[in-house]
Formats: sequence, structure tokens, C-alpha cells
Amino acid sequence: MSNMYYPPSGVQSDSYKKDMRIIKTKKQAVIAILSLIVLFLVPVIPWINSTYNLRLIIGSGITIIICLGLNILTGYCGQLNIGQSAFVMVGAFTAGLLNYNFSWPLWANIIPAGLAASIAGVIFGAPSVRLKGLYLALTTLAAQIVLTWIALYYISLASAGFIVDPPALGGIVFDTPDKFYYIAMVFTCAMCFFAKGIVRSGIGRAFMAIRDNDIAAEAMGINIFRYKLLAFIICTFYAGVAGALFAHYMMWVQLESFTLIDSIWYVVMIIVGGLGSIEGTIFGVIFIVALKEIIFVVGPMVEGSIAYLPIGAGSGFLLVTIAGVAILFLILEPRGLAHRWKIIKAYYRLWPYGY
Amino acid sequence: MEVFLQLVISGLVNGSIYGLVAVGFVLIYKCSGVLNFAQGNMVLIGAYIFWTFKGPLGFGLLPSLFFGAALSFLFGMIVERLSLRPLVGQSILSMITVTIFLSLLLEGVTCIMWGSNPLSKADIFPKGTINLGFFNVMIDNILAFCFALIVMTVLILFFQYTRLGLAMRGVAEGHQIMQALGIRVKKILTISWGIAGMAGTIGGIILADKIGFGLGLSHIGIAAIPAAFIGGLESPLGAILGGLIIGLVESIVSGYVGNAAGTPAAYVLLVIVMLFRPYGFFGLERIERV
Repeated sequence: MSNMYYPPSGVQSDSYKKDMRIIKTKKQAVIAILSLIVLFLVPVIPWINSTYNLRLIIGSGITIIICLGLNILTGYCGQLNIGQSAFVMVGAFTAGLLNYNFSWPLWANIIPAGLAASIAGVIFGAPSVRLKGLYLALTTLAAQIVLTWIALYYISLASAGFIVDPPALGGIVFDTPDKFYYIAMVFTCAMCFFAKGIVRSGIGRAFMAIRDNDIAAEAMGINIFRYKLLAFIICTFYAGVAGALFAHYMMWVQLESFTLIDSIWYVVMIIVGGLGSIEGTIFGVIFIVALKEIIFVVGPMVEGSIAYLPIGAGSGFLLVTIAGVAILFLILEPRGLAHRWKIIKAYYRLWPYGY
Repeated sequence: MEVFLQLVISGLVNGSIYGLVAVGFVLIYKCSGVLNFAQGNMVLIGAYIFWTFKGPLGFGLLPSLFFGAALSFLFGMIVERLSLRPLVGQSILSMITVTIFLSLLLEGVTCIMWGSNPLSKADIFPKGTINLGFFNVMIDNILAFCFALIVMTVLILFFQYTRLGLAMRGVAEGHQIMQALGIRVKKILTISWGIAGMAGTIGGIILADKIGFGLGLSHIGIAAIPAAFIGGLESPLGAILGGLIIGLVESIVSGYVGNAAGTPAAYVLLVIVMLFRPYGFFGLERIERV
């Protein structure tokens, strides 16, 4: 039951175009519109709309953009990338420096930031001609370390950080979380639909063919090198766009925001969420962000209550808890949250005859 | 010239440490095809165990070394049994993710047992300098290098000439064939994790003698990855030579260019080597066109 795809009852996909629709029934359309409305009402709902919560949601939104790109590269095209935050850094610094030196607004910076990150992505993705799997992952790890070093040495403002203007549209300046929330959500939703579009198209099918068996894909006439590079370009473009958003949202760019640990967390997010699944990316980001939040909230409380253990034991207990939960999760649910979501959907559609 | 020789010596010492840690990467990769991101934290825990015997418990140098090595061997086996064994047959990506979480878990365990502050110093090698005529050498550097060299030689002899080493090399070739020949593959996998932990721990102890016992010891994991790849992920000898190469490059570049340039230089070298010899210098070349 778990591997099968159950369309909503009564939907006949008599043409390919119909089969590829994202929204297939009226009920789905209503749910989509309602959830979009709720999403955009969040800043005015009491209880939820504290600055802290909004910052958390905006951060998750930007992370979702980063992880969408990564999931297209890793989940759909099968190329592991453990240097994603370096490409985010390229985007953030491009946007930040354009703003700092020429005072370009966010709207003009998005595309240059994405392109700059893509160029870096092409340079470090080029070894994928000859390398596969872990070896390719290593060149992306090299991207992380080398790009950070280049920023440290050749951009004099990088380690100290510099100020970036908040985005403005008409007379509104989006300088507080409850205002920036709208920009973040518009971009996150747009990028989600863009990603969904890519993976439904011929490009997406070529990616999946390369992931499943690259030799067979080549035999079918897919130019592997070109599509692998394209996957790198898309992945790093997403990273660059997210970087530009991040720079204008934080109103401050600094080297320390983009570390190897972040890159590893991005990979963890897409694996927990589900490789090769757009919904899974969103689930994974939310799951990991929530887990981290628990650490930040509960950590100091635990630390305060145990005095006889060495300093740092509280955070140690939480690290053990989070990592233990995650390892158990991976052992029991290796195909990610998206798989569980599919099972739930199938259960709902087959109910009450689920056998 | 004197500066250069000093850099070469410290590079060789660092390189031997990288080599020992990289052997751990290679062993685990050979047997199970996983890059163990938790290697750095296994090194850390091994070194802390050693410190516990040497410092608070007051054992001598050799007994503490023995206990440190033995317990880290056991520890590696336990880690394999509890976290990686249930995942045999799963995709490589989820196994790698498990090792990433494992590194967090081990860091947590370290924090609970020993706290997050650096521990007090425990001297291992006698300090001092010898005058070699035209320049001075630190005794602890020489001793550390010799010690690492001995451990490496023992490891290579073990792989080449013992039945267990032979079985481990066989498991790297293919699990099914080895099972058909009556080798217990799961046992070999567990033992390879143990040896990986032990080799890394000895490297970590030597490193801790230089930089002190602190959580920063686990960064050796990231720094040693290029060594394993340049040597070729399938060859312990390659890992050791790769470690020495990486150590030399890092030390010389950071001496002449700037302190932070060492690790990036190692990674640039890694990318260049990958472009021309994708499987490293001693790695197994799989004939497969992409």
C-alpha cells in the first residue's frame, strides 16, 4: 500500500497534461486557497504573532528556499552537496555588497545574487563530469572551505560584517519581522511552485533518470554533463536568492552566518523530510527547526536543574536526545517524512476500505 | 631555510596524525561504503578516555595508552552495533546522515561525561629541544612522529599478514563472496569500526599533546578527510601517505601564506587531485564511464 499512488476518487487523467496538474479537484483548490490565506494572516493572529515566532517562521521560509534547491540537486538529480551554505554566502555577499556600494534595492539584487551563486556552483559542479557520489560531495565540501577562505581574505568587510538596507516598496519599509514576513512568504511560495514546476517538466525527468542510473540515462540520449551542471545551477541559484533575502532581512551580512555545520543541517533537513519530494523539503525544515528550538528553550532549564554534573552537561543531554531521536527516526523511517505523509494520504483516500 | 625545515617537521607530525585518523575513514569506507562523519568525535572520546586514566585515575603513560586504545576499540564496536547495523542495506545517504547525528550524539556524551570546558593538560611526551647543529628540533615532535610511525607500521602489517586483516580486505571486495567463504561479515564490520576508533584515538592523543584536551579536537575529522581521499578511499597505506602530504602542504602554506590558509590549501589540492586522478593515488579504480 505504501508504494502505490492513489489519485483522489473520480479524477480521470485522460491526458498527460491533466495527470500533471498540481491541483486536481475543487476540494484541493479550496484547501490551497484557504491555507494561503491563513499563511498570509499569521502576522495579525494574536498568540502567534510575537516577534520571536515571526522571526522563526521567516528563518524557516528562507531555509526552505535553500533546501528546495538542495533537494532538486540531491534528491532529484542524485548529486550530494555538502557546501550549500557557501553558495548562500555568495548570494548574500553579492546582494550585500551591491547594496553597500551602489545602494541597489533587494528587487534588483535577487537576480545578480542568484547568478553569482550559480557561477560558483558551475565552477564547483564541473568536476561532476568525472566524479560520482562521495567523491563529488568532497568537491562541494571543498567549495565550502575555499569560498569561506576567499571571502575572509578578499572581502575586507566579510569577517566584521556590514550593514544592508531593508527592502522598501513604495512608501513601506520592510524592516520589522511582521512586515518582512510577507516578502519571505511570497518568495517561499513562489520558489516552491517554481521547484514543483521544474521537477514535473522534462528537465525534472532527466534529473531523475540520471539519479536512478546515469549510464542508462546516457544511453537514452540525455546529455548527462549538461543536466548535472543544470542541476547545480538551479540548486545554487536557489541558494543565492535565499542569500539575498537573508542579507536584506538581517540587514547585516557577516561571514559567521554561513558555516559548514549549516550546510550539514541542510542535508539533514532534506533527508529527514524526504529526498526527491518538494513537500518533504518543507516538512524536514519545519521538523528540524522545531527540534533545534526545543534545544534552545529546554537546554538552559535542564542545565540549571543539575548542578553536580560538569559545565555543559545540560546541552550535552539535549544533544544526546535530539541525535538519538533523529537516529531512531532514520532507522525506523529512512524514506523521510514525505513517505509518512504519502501513507497518511493513501489511508485517507482509501478509507474505510484501506486493505 | 631553518623556518622551512621547522615547517616540514611540524607538517610531518601533523601529517602522521591526519594519517592515523584517515585510516579510520578508510577502514569504515572499505567495509561498509560509508564516510563516517563521526570519526572526529570518536577521536575526541578516545582521547578523553586516555586523559581520564592518565589524569584523575593516576595511571602511568603506557597503561593509560593501553586502556585508552582498548576502550576506544570497544566503543567503536558498540557504536557500530547500535547505530549502523540496523541500517545495513539502506541508502548510503541515510547512513551518512546517521553518522552526522552520531557525531552530535557523541559530542553530547562528551559534554555529559567531561563537560564542555577544556580539560587540564596531561603531558605525554617529554618537552625540550635538541640542537641538530644548524637548527633546533623539539623532542616531543620527534617522539610523536616516531610513535605515529610505529602505530602505522603495525596497522599495515596487520592488514597485510594476519588472517583478520585478510578477511577485512576481502569484505571490502564484496560481502556476498566473503559470506560464501565462511567469513562472518557482520563481525568484520564491527571490528573495523573498533580499529577505526582505536587508530583515530591514538592520533587524537598525539594531537592533544600539542593542542590540549578540548572539544576542538574533533575538528581533526574535517581536516583529515582530504588525506583519506587523496590517498584513495580504499587503501590504508594511501591514507597514511595522503595524511603526510596533506600535513606538509598545510604546514608550509600556513607558514608562508597565512595561518587560516592551511585547510583551504589542503582542499584545493584535493580538488586538483580529484580532477586528474578521481580515485586518489592508491584507490580502487572502478571502470565505469559517466
